[in-house]
Amino acid sequence: MDIIIIEGLAFALPLFIIAIGGIYSERSGITNLALEGFLGFGAFIGAAAVTAFTRGNVAGIEVQMFFVALLFSVIGGAVFAMLHALLCIPFKANQVISGVVINILAVALTAFFTSQINSVIFGKPTNKFVLGVCEKFTVPGISKIPILGAFFTDVYYYVPIIIVVALFASYVLYKSRFGLRLRACGDNPHAVDAAGVDVSKVRFIAVMISGALSGLGGICFAYSISTSFSPSIYAGYGFLAIAALIFGNWKIGPTLGACLLFGFARSAGYKLAQVLELASTFSDIIMILPYVLTLLLLMFFSSTNRPPRALGEIYDKGKR
Amino acid sequence: MRKDKNTAGRDKNTTINPFVRGAVTILGNEKHQSISIPLFAILLSLLAGAIVILFLGKNPIDSFISLLQGSGILPKAQYAAKKNMLTDFLSMINSLTPMIFAALAVAVALKTGLFNIGISGQMLVAGFAATVTVGYSNLPMAAALPLVLVVGIVFGGAVGALIGWLKHRFNINEVVSSIMLNYIFQYIISFFINSYYMNPVTRQSRQVSAAARLTLTDVELYGLKMDIPLGFILTIPVAFLVLFLLNKTRLGYELKIVGLNRKAAKYAGIKVGKSMVISMAISGALAGLAGVTLYLGTFASIQPRVLTSVGFDSIAVCLLGNAHPIGILFSSLLITIISKGGNYMSSMVGIPQEIAQVITGLILLFSACGAYIRYRVELAKENIGNGKLRIENNGEGGQK
Amino acid sequence: MDEYIVEMRHITKRFPGVVANDDVSVSIKKGEIFALLGENGAGKSTLMSMLFGMYEPDEGEIFIRGKKVKITSPAQATQLNIGMVHQHFKLVENYTITENIVLGQEPPSRFMGFLPSVDIKGSNKKIAELSKRYGLEVDPRKKIEDISVSTRQRVEILKMLYREAEILIFDEPTAVLTPQEIEFLLDIIRELRNSGKTIILITHKLEEIKKVADRCAILNRGKLVGVLDVASTTTKTMANMMVGREVSFKIEKNPANFGPEVLNVAGLTVKNQDGLQVVKNVSFSVRRGEIFAIAGVSGNGQIEVADAITGLIPASGGTISLNGNDITNSGVRERTVAGISYIPEDRQEVGLVLDFSLAENLAMKKYFREPFCEKGILNNEAFEEHGKRLIEEYDIRSGQGISTTVRSMSGGNQQKAIVAREIELSSELMIFVQPTRGLDIGAIENIHRQILAQRDAGRAILLISLELDEIIGLADTIGVMYNGEMLNIAPAETLTANQVGEYMMGVKAE
Repeated sequence: MDIIIIEGLAFALPLFIIAIGGIYSERSGITNLALEGFLGFGAFIGAAAVTAFTRGNVAGIEVQMFFVALLFSVIGGAVFAMLHALLCIPFKANQVISGVVINILAVALTAFFTSQINSVIFGKPTNKFVLGVCEKFTVPGISKIPILGAFFTDVYYYVPIIIVVALFASYVLYKSRFGLRLRACGDNPHAVDAAGVDVSKVRFIAVMISGALSGLGGICFAYSISTSFSPSIYAGYGFLAIAALIFGNWKIGPTLGACLLFGFARSAGYKLAQVLELASTFSDIIMILPYVLTLLLLMFFSSTNRPPRALGEIYDKGKR
Repeated sequence: MRKDKNTAGRDKNTTINPFVRGAVTILGNEKHQSISIPLFAILLSLLAGAIVILFLGKNPIDSFISLLQGSGILPKAQYAAKKNMLTDFLSMINSLTPMIFAALAVAVALKTGLFNIGISGQMLVAGFAATVTVGYSNLPMAAALPLVLVVGIVFGGAVGALIGWLKHRFNINEVVSSIMLNYIFQYIISFFINSYYMNPVTRQSRQVSAAARLTLTDVELYGLKMDIPLGFILTIPVAFLVLFLLNKTRLGYELKIVGLNRKAAKYAGIKVGKSMVISMAISGALAGLAGVTLYLGTFASIQPRVLTSVGFDSIAVCLLGNAHPIGILFSSLLITIISKGGNYMSSMVGIPQEIAQVITGLILLFSACGAYIRYRVELAKENIGNGKLRIENNGEGGQK
Repeated sequence: MDEYIVEMRHITKRFPGVVANDDVSVSIKKGEIFALLGENGAGKSTLMSMLFGMYEPDEGEIFIRGKKVKITSPAQATQLNIGMVHQHFKLVENYTITENIVLGQEPPSRFMGFLPSVDIKGSNKKIAELSKRYGLEVDPRKKIEDISVSTRQRVEILKMLYREAEILIFDEPTAVLTPQEIEFLLDIIRELRNSGKTIILITHKLEEIKKVADRCAILNRGKLVGVLDVASTTTKTMANMMVGREVSFKIEKNPANFGPEVLNVAGLTVKNQDGLQVVKNVSFSVRRGEIFAIAGVSGNGQIEVADAITGLIPASGGTISLNGNDITNSGVRERTVAGISYIPEDRQEVGLVLDFSLAENLAMKKYFREPFCEKGILNNEAFEEHGKRLIEEYDIRSGQGISTTVRSMSGGNQQKAIVAREIELSSELMIFVQPTRGLDIGAIENIHRQILAQRDAGRAILLISLELDEIIGLADTIGVMYNGEMLNIAPAETLTANQVGEYMMGVKAE
């Protein structure tokens, strides 16, 4: 049971922070299918920074390097997201198309630069940056409480970081002046414009935040699931995050629920495969659990879903 | 006084440099915009690619030539035994075939306002179904080949229809359901391959029988050993069939209305939900064709747990081809040449193979800006036009 | 010079294909009510949008309080104390009134004592006070999606006052109001002028100008025709200047000749997406040769009645029958074929496919029949012939004939195309919703003539309009809807405009 909670949380939270990124973008009115590309590119920048600083020798400074990676991933994600913002806002491209193109471009660019950097540093053009696994901690005392204690046992370092960032992101979205304007942009950009606020600017920043948060989530996945950066980072987590935020009706609270459900379904599936001592081939069947569950739940909840009113609309000042 | 000042300002605007004026004239022709703007985007991205290659210290011209050589458009300096330009070309066509079908699949859905991001999953289901039913049978070629196509169309179409139905019945966004189904099929099929159809050496599914393969392999002809992609024969007729469907049939008319304006479609008495299911079924069927030509053509086996990138690239290829069936024939060719020639370029010029992927990405990026280019061109046209108008008006005023 | 608070000199603004303002100069005095009169498309809104910074003029200069300014954004206009109530309200539907008003100028507060946030509580209070001071009562905590159109307009006015605007622009403010609400609004406008504000009123309704305005500028096709002192000018003169020719206000109507009942609606109930009843137990019938008009303020369920009759939305209760046949559960196509034509409220979003050609749009309700379609294959020639004939018969003007993309056509011609298509169906029942919205006087007359011709030809006509004049002028029978209910049904000649207006505000008859 404990392991389900520990592993579930470790998967759900990075997914959650990426989904929050998606919420920022979509609540401002910009459809974001590019989360996958953002998280991959962000993680790539973080991993590349670590590799460049340590030349592959992270022993002894794993923790410090983990924070370096976080920082660079956030920046990398935000900068890369500018591309989506540029295409969607001043260039008025179709937002869905832009998202797809940016995902393709992210895969291509990171693969290209990874092999370039590796061949410069190590003389070998491999497609992987080795990172090691993120450190964990256990809160003494509380961790002994049954079930609840599992939430405080073997916690990845990034878990509290994500919780803090998520809380702050909720505050900004729902309480701050910027958040008020951002959500208004997704409902009626004309009202925002008439109120003297620059819609393009708000949306641009929203997409960049979306990139920053995706980068954060991406590097956490790189540190936990794969312990390295490689093309396998593009495993569809960005799309899962989109499913989670649609499922959560573009609100942060319900989206957390969707992500937790997803994380626990996943870790429970793995555990189940272990307990039943199934042949390794059966793990494939277990793996579909979260996706089937999502699809089933979407069947029940999609009809009442209300996307932001101005989502995907290209805002043109001249039109009314 | 005031007028003079303004006219002077206007004149400055009208003296646009001849290069811009030329570009505007070429790109501004609305009849040809659907061709000229993608071409412009391609040109821009090749330019950008050339700059990247220059940065790597290599010659971009040589690189681009080697791309063409690698895909059998231009002759290489030397060939291995029983190989020449024709064998390279056929090998490129072999990869091109599934790409065309996949991009057509994207186009049909797109015309109905749906985004079929699940092409890869539909291809996999179709390919797997055809592999286990026909591929592992002893049927003779005359029976096997048509059956492979039919199985592919039926299974691909069924998955597509499912996605359409989920949208129609439960309002599930087709992007989300496609992605979920992609995962589900990927793992289920992986389970079956791992459990029943695994070739332990290659870690892939066992090869399909040669009789069920849509590509004739290692055919000895004129002293050459070549692969002949039979599936390709179908691509051009199918592209025209899709064109006919969209432009000349009642169904196509209905699908397009649904794609352009769902409310108007309902108002006109069209059953929007049914149209979406039909459109996705057709899209899925085309993806099924892509699946069988890939898994029982280009390849003869399926790698478990891997979705082919053809499905995602095809979205971009379709957009590059303006979602027009004939445009898609050309855009597929271009993207396939770049990806197929990438290997050879990498080995000949000594730049990483990934650069081909980057160039593809850039082409797509620039073509996504097509609407913006069109908008700028219109703006520039207006400017030039207004300048003229102004001068004419002034002339009139003078006469009065 | 400095008695003018706003001066716009030699303003020219071009849009693709049209000159919206051609060398227009107007000067507005401080503390006056200045009206801009003109038909739809005369360039009134464009001119004021430039004053509010939404567009920039191609040529010309703007002076505010004697100083030359370049207004590039609404934010800048706000700084210059200019405010505008737009014709289409610019409100965030899922925000409260307060949130909408403070948006862009949010008073700061601290969240949990240290994080900068928006002071919603304080604003609620401030806005309650502000609304009391100007007699614009609203509940600041209510969400926009839950309030009526006239309250929304108050929110827009409060938005300007909150920003301390001195120059207030009203763009067609009365278009969506009942006669009583209009009176109330005009009072408020006078009140605002008396407290020292300068008011610019954009309208095409002459009576309003006569009632409140001090001076009036008349625009015609982008050109300034003249600036008049309202008190010393007759409405007739203004009307002629506005249209550029003699106009008659009367709608000529033949005596009615009712035939058997065509449409019968009994106990109709419709729910919206949230499950709320938007149409409640509505019953009425329409006979051959009768124009049955439904009056009502926007958003009181009239559109849903039309959508339910045509099958665009399902009825959750009651029955709809056409010529005695129950069609409550039939599909849209079946109803069309059974004899319903429908000119919908939103011609661009519902009535047309803007990116299709004119010929394709004109055949949108017939394409599935011979000769347009045989065995699933379309016959282009049939589309072309049909299109050409309708363009000819209904005088639809378009750049490239039948192959014109409908998007590039003017609103009036788009509407003509829809009317042509629907009349060509020769349906027994024709539903017209807001048929003249946004059209100029010439086009309005034309549509009214068509409607009357169809009535005289024995068709049953259901007319739904927000324009009371239109209803009074055309209807044989009038029903008024308020809050989803049909309050009163009576022969048109027994009702005055004011009575209808009262019903529209929910005052029930005994």
